[in-house]
Amino acid sequence: MPRAERPGSPEACAELLHACERDRHSVRVRGGGTKDHLGTRRETDVTLETAGLDGIVDHVPEDLTVTVRGGMRFAALQAALATHGQFLPLDPPHTRRGATVGGIIAANSSGFGRYRFGAVRDLLLGVRAALPDGTVARAGGRVVKNVAGYDLNKLFTGSLGTLGVIVEATFKILPIPPATRAAAAVFASSADAFAAADALVRTSLRPTALVVEHADRRWRLVVAAAGERAPVDRAMDELARVAAAKGAAVEAIADPEATLGPLRELVDLSPTGVIIRAALPLSAQAAYAEAAARGERTAHIVADAASAIVHVHLMEGADAVAAETIVATARVLGGSARIERGAIAGLATFSGPEPSGAFLMRRLKDAFDPHGILEPARGALG
Amino acid sequence: MTAAPAIVRAGLRGAELAAGLRDLLGSEKVLWAREDLLLYEYDGAVDTAMPDAVVLPGDTADVARLARFCAEHGVPLVPRGAGTGLSGGSIPVEGGVVISFARMSRILEIDAPNLRAVVQPGLVNLHLSTAAAPHGLYFVPDPSSQKACTLGGNVAENSGGPHTLAYGVTTNHVTGLELVLSDGTIVRLGGKALEYDGYDLVGTFVGSEGTLGIVTEITVKLTPLPEDKRTLMAAFPTMDDASNTVSAIIGAGIVPSAMEMMDQLSTQAVEASVGAGYPLDAGGILLLEVDGVRDGLDDLLERIEAICRAAHAQELRVATTALERDKLWAGRKGAFAAMGRLASDYYVQDGVIPRTKLPQVLRHVIDVGERYGLRIANVFHAGDGNLHPLIMFDGSKGPAEVERVKEAGREILEMCIEVGGSITGEHGVGMEKNCYMPLQYSPIDMAVMRRVKDAFDPSGLANPGKVFPTPGRCKEFSLHAAR
Repeated sequence: MPRAERPGSPEACAELLHACERDRHSVRVRGGGTKDHLGTRRETDVTLETAGLDGIVDHVPEDLTVTVRGGMRFAALQAALATHGQFLPLDPPHTRRGATVGGIIAANSSGFGRYRFGAVRDLLLGVRAALPDGTVARAGGRVVKNVAGYDLNKLFTGSLGTLGVIVEATFKILPIPPATRAAAAVFASSADAFAAADALVRTSLRPTALVVEHADRRWRLVVAAAGERAPVDRAMDELARVAAAKGAAVEAIADPEATLGPLRELVDLSPTGVIIRAALPLSAQAAYAEAAARGERTAHIVADAASAIVHVHLMEGADAVAAETIVATARVLGGSARIERGAIAGLATFSGPEPSGAFLMRRLKDAFDPHGILEPARGALG
Repeated sequence: MTAAPAIVRAGLRGAELAAGLRDLLGSEKVLWAREDLLLYEYDGAVDTAMPDAVVLPGDTADVARLARFCAEHGVPLVPRGAGTGLSGGSIPVEGGVVISFARMSRILEIDAPNLRAVVQPGLVNLHLSTAAAPHGLYFVPDPSSQKACTLGGNVAENSGGPHTLAYGVTTNHVTGLELVLSDGTIVRLGGKALEYDGYDLVGTFVGSEGTLGIVTEITVKLTPLPEDKRTLMAAFPTMDDASNTVSAIIGAGIVPSAMEMMDQLSTQAVEASVGAGYPLDAGGILLLEVDGVRDGLDDLLERIEAICRAAHAQELRVATTALERDKLWAGRKGAFAAMGRLASDYYVQDGVIPRTKLPQVLRHVIDVGERYGLRIANVFHAGDGNLHPLIMFDGSKGPAEVERVKEAGREILEMCIEVGGSITGEHGVGMEKNCYMPLQYSPIDMAVMRRVKDAFDPSGLANPGKVFPTPGRCKEFSLHAAR
């Protein structure tokens, strides 16, 4: 059993890492524990829990920025911002189960609002990270524009805890939009559903969700828009127009979150089988989804059609070859894919050739964590 | 203009270097005559330095061969786009080779179905949006120099522009890069999708000012052109009124696509040169734009106008035709050039502050100007809190005057840091502000950046003397700071 440690401050976190480095103890970083499924699991000597790094450090509502500790739960942050009529415009999964800000950054979690509001990399203004050498380093700042020095926010985003522990983060935030509406339409084919989605992307509508879902042989497009009433109404009108052109009827959705929530939580709501996450060039989605849908074990496909992030759920009993074929197809189409969660022997999170630029990534890993104590084997470098 | 003190680094230089490069790449790709090199000793900022040679590569393979040669012979590599940079990024402060991308300026692909374009680094920013327009698309970042500046330079500096308030700066619009590292290795990072395995090296590289390697190909996002827009010029009796308006608009939950501010000195210069139609008696003006689908745009504009009136606006003018809109914008985009009417030289700062500190910091800028007896104009991205104080001076008075101007600039940057801001929002650190980096970052923060530098560029030949404080040049600064 790994030893659990819960440092109460950024400095204590850095000291702990330094002691682990000295003793060559491997460390897994754990926030809400909602993403244990992600990345190769190898038992470590220590589990560093970030729950002691909690709370808002600074929030100036008029500046639309907020600085929080890395272990703060995302849901608690949103609740605090909501009392000021503001929100952090990220809608990542697992937030009801306790996903933390640091974990969301480390895993580069994103949701359907990415096309409209950006992903973690677009909203993160600054980070402080505890490093294995015992220091706490800051990158970026607390203002919305800053090009002084290297943009290490980007390096830490998606680094899966392999470079350091995110102890503090500053984000851009926004006022909560006054109006939200959603509607859905069912199409006869993958091509029709994605074509309708694409027509809406090529406008100034900037939907907050544009999701193509495949289940039970149906292709359903769910569209949500948020903002001032008039442009939101217009988005719904445009959906009706593009759907009608394909002979599809539109159904209004009274509670957008009740529909979008389960689509976002595909991993949590499909406890068995394999889930693949692919990032694709926009126009490759229809063919990719169609190919994935042909697999006899494919149960469910959820595509953020505006950002071309496609999740494929294979039912229990799917074999590693089927899963790896779907991963490889994404690569062939010019994108990338990983096993978001899989319980099949021999199925690695990251398969296929090393990422381009792996030698640079390895040098960076060695520079930040020379003894390899942090999250061994979890990242794409294996 | 001041020539940077020569820093001697062991390696091949001068005529011998030029001869080696001619043998390597052919004489048509190398400039070495003094009169040719003179054109490459300056950029848009105030420092100058002569390269030993200039190379005009035709493709990535040329750049890789050049880098291998320079690695072997200890020669610094300094990439250069159009030379419009405002922090000395393309100045060869330690000598060596300036790489001009004038011959690598093509659009390789407009991939409209994927909302991407693949371009060479020497492509002029505006040419990309022009080429994308028939597809109903454009490239968002629009620096004021967009008629001249290049995509390679935009990537190096992580450039912004007036319209990045709502839609993001260069880094938010780059998904793939091809690089040549300082040892000649060619690396492809990212692509047309939004995510690839491993660390986000594309994001890490953008804004690294040529110090991590040389960009040879760029994949960018293209964005659907807004269906419609509304442009408003609002004139106020004082800069405080204009500043409060900015906070009030943001506070009302409105994020315009652009929100630019100019003080009276700037509007007077602009009126004399461009004739944009700005009122000469206003203490400050705001140029505002909202865009998107046309539904609701007029309501939004009305709300903004009401906020402006409540903050004592003396005049509100909405552009009713594309021509009128272009005229209003021509004033803003031509503002830096117009300063030539007020003084022979200017030094522009690029500090960023939290929006709520605008009135306080702008008063400090006025105070600095008065204490130094220097005229300072302010033309800036108010919505982002990204200031551009233009300090006017007469360079013919010699290096002492330039130093005095830089000192005034430093006082402004110190205030930006004091209120929680940054020394640069979009112009970069370069060799102009590298001595100020310790104002913003601790030695620990700098050490971490150094690790990144060493991972990409272990030899240190990629644009040396930039971003990181250099012992030789920055000693003087610490003396100043100590006094």
